[in-house]
Amino acid sequence: MQELKRRYVIPGDKIVDGNFRPLMNVIRIGNSIISTRIGIAEAGRDGIKVIPLSGVYIPRINDIVIGKIVDRSSLSWDVDINSCFTAHLPAQDVFGRDFSPARDDMNRELATGALITARIIAFDRTRDPMLTVQDRDLGKIPRGESLRISATRVPRLIGKRGSMIQTIEQATQTRVIIGQNGVVVVTGRNQDGIDLAVKAIKVVEEEAHTSNLTQRIKALLNVPDTALAQPQGSEFVEKSSESEDISEISPTKSVPQSVSNIIQRPISNEQQSQGRGEREQEHERSATSRFSDSSPSPSSPPSSVVTPVAPSDKVRSQEERPRKGEEQRISEGDTRKTKTPVKGVHDGLQEHGKKEGDN
Amino acid sequence: MSQTRSLIDKQGKRTDGRTVGQLREVKISVGVVKNADGSAYIEFGKNKIIVAVYGPREVHPKHMAQPDRCVLRCRYHMSPFSTDTRKNPAPSRREVEISKVMREALEPALMLEDYPRAAIDVYVEVLQADGGSRCAGISAASVALADAGINMRDLVAACAAGKVDDKIVLDINDTEDKEGGADMPVAYMPHLDEVTLLQLDGVLTRDQFNQCFDTAVEGCKMVYEIQKQALMQKYFGNETEVKEEIQ
Repeated sequence: MQELKRRYVIPGDKIVDGNFRPLMNVIRIGNSIISTRIGIAEAGRDGIKVIPLSGVYIPRINDIVIGKIVDRSSLSWDVDINSCFTAHLPAQDVFGRDFSPARDDMNRELATGALITARIIAFDRTRDPMLTVQDRDLGKIPRGESLRISATRVPRLIGKRGSMIQTIEQATQTRVIIGQNGVVVVTGRNQDGIDLAVKAIKVVEEEAHTSNLTQRIKALLNVPDTALAQPQGSEFVEKSSESEDISEISPTKSVPQSVSNIIQRPISNEQQSQGRGEREQEHERSATSRFSDSSPSPSSPPSSVVTPVAPSDKVRSQEERPRKGEEQRISEGDTRKTKTPVKGVHDGLQEHGKKEGDN
Repeated sequence: MSQTRSLIDKQGKRTDGRTVGQLREVKISVGVVKNADGSAYIEFGKNKIIVAVYGPREVHPKHMAQPDRCVLRCRYHMSPFSTDTRKNPAPSRREVEISKVMREALEPALMLEDYPRAAIDVYVEVLQADGGSRCAGISAASVALADAGINMRDLVAACAAGKVDDKIVLDINDTEDKEGGADMPVAYMPHLDEVTLLQLDGVLTRDQFNQCFDTAVEGCKMVYEIQKQALMQKYFGNETEVKEEIQ
């Protein structure tokens, strides 16, 4: 098999001749593999693919997205997921199988304008995406500032093993929830921090394809260069301080991390201890116990150690994602104790799950 | 169409000083319209055209949606100030026709079946016109579509050739178009080696036709190199070259 170096391509460029398998954003014409997008061509074990650098969000099953409720019918909500298709969240998903349009008030649970994190459970060429909030850490987002970036920039915003987003979060004392559809919600206690985080995210979006971006973001946020964002050991720091290039935006490397960022990630202990009352701490403890069924500890392995699963065989499955179990491990690894500002939201869902279980 | 004056002088120079096989100066910038999903600005000689691409997005009105493929909608429009006498901004017969031929020139390059039930809108706004604006528009639209991240089999490059003073010349301008013998706009996909648009206004012999067509395709290949450079510059800056595959 021929060795293939990563290279930049535009639509129509021949990537390679020969009997290779077209994976994503490539087509076979005659004996050649041709790129169909602007991006970086790569040869994996399974075949040839192009990591795109532009484009709108096209839903895929199991993507975790942030959506906005735009309308509701008697049996479902319509959700804007920053795509050309409006997604649907069935009322039964929230109220349970015994949902009755006459008895249950859908507006009370999710009013128009509400933001939710949800997973896409069904989507194909003939149907609009179907969402679920029945999973850990999915559901309504109570507050925060939302902004939209290009979905192709999401892996870059997360960075290698979450380095970029951790830098932004820690420097601005905020929490950033990222949907794979390019919707980002920033929450935090002070407005200046939120504004700064939003500014940094916009810079990342605009300059995603340039090198040394992390350094520039650190300069923007007045973070010293000593890898503030790196949570663990020297090996990790060394790796992530490698010179950055466009390859960092490879979704194959960072999508598993994006899942953990989408899922509620708590503010670190130091951040939390600043200016909180006893009552708040107590609330957090109880919220955590409700929120997470794991027993997270600061010594939990960082999410970076989780390896992504091998790419799916499907030609259009496109990006590697962790399996369900691994996804959980990621979020557990990240859940270093206590509070998430958005935790309270999930109470309703948790209770609902319990109720269903009882039934 | 008969010529009333000579448009090529004794030194072989045309009205704007070019030689017969010379393209006008072409400049393309990518990503000029922030609101659009993809955009491009092209200066093709004195033509100045801006193209914005939106989509794939929801189709309105809904009944236009196709269950198995995406709808491509193209709007070619000349600004009132784009010509020396004011052009009525309402869509003329000519603009409606050019919108259609542009759509048909771009469609073969796009993988519309990848986006069922959606629409892609291409807006081509001519800010200044000087002959050959449909070719310039198609070239810019193709770049804007690539910028929008729409799956494409190839870029589409377009260029015209024509007959002036019984000579086949590349890339005819407004004067040559109006006073010359023939005008043949061609849109071409360089990697696939396929023609997506071929029009002819005027009379050519069989040999002239072949020569004119070959000249236009050569022009398309020149335009393609400029398109490629513009895209590479936008996305990869100066790191464009080198990275070649190892056999």
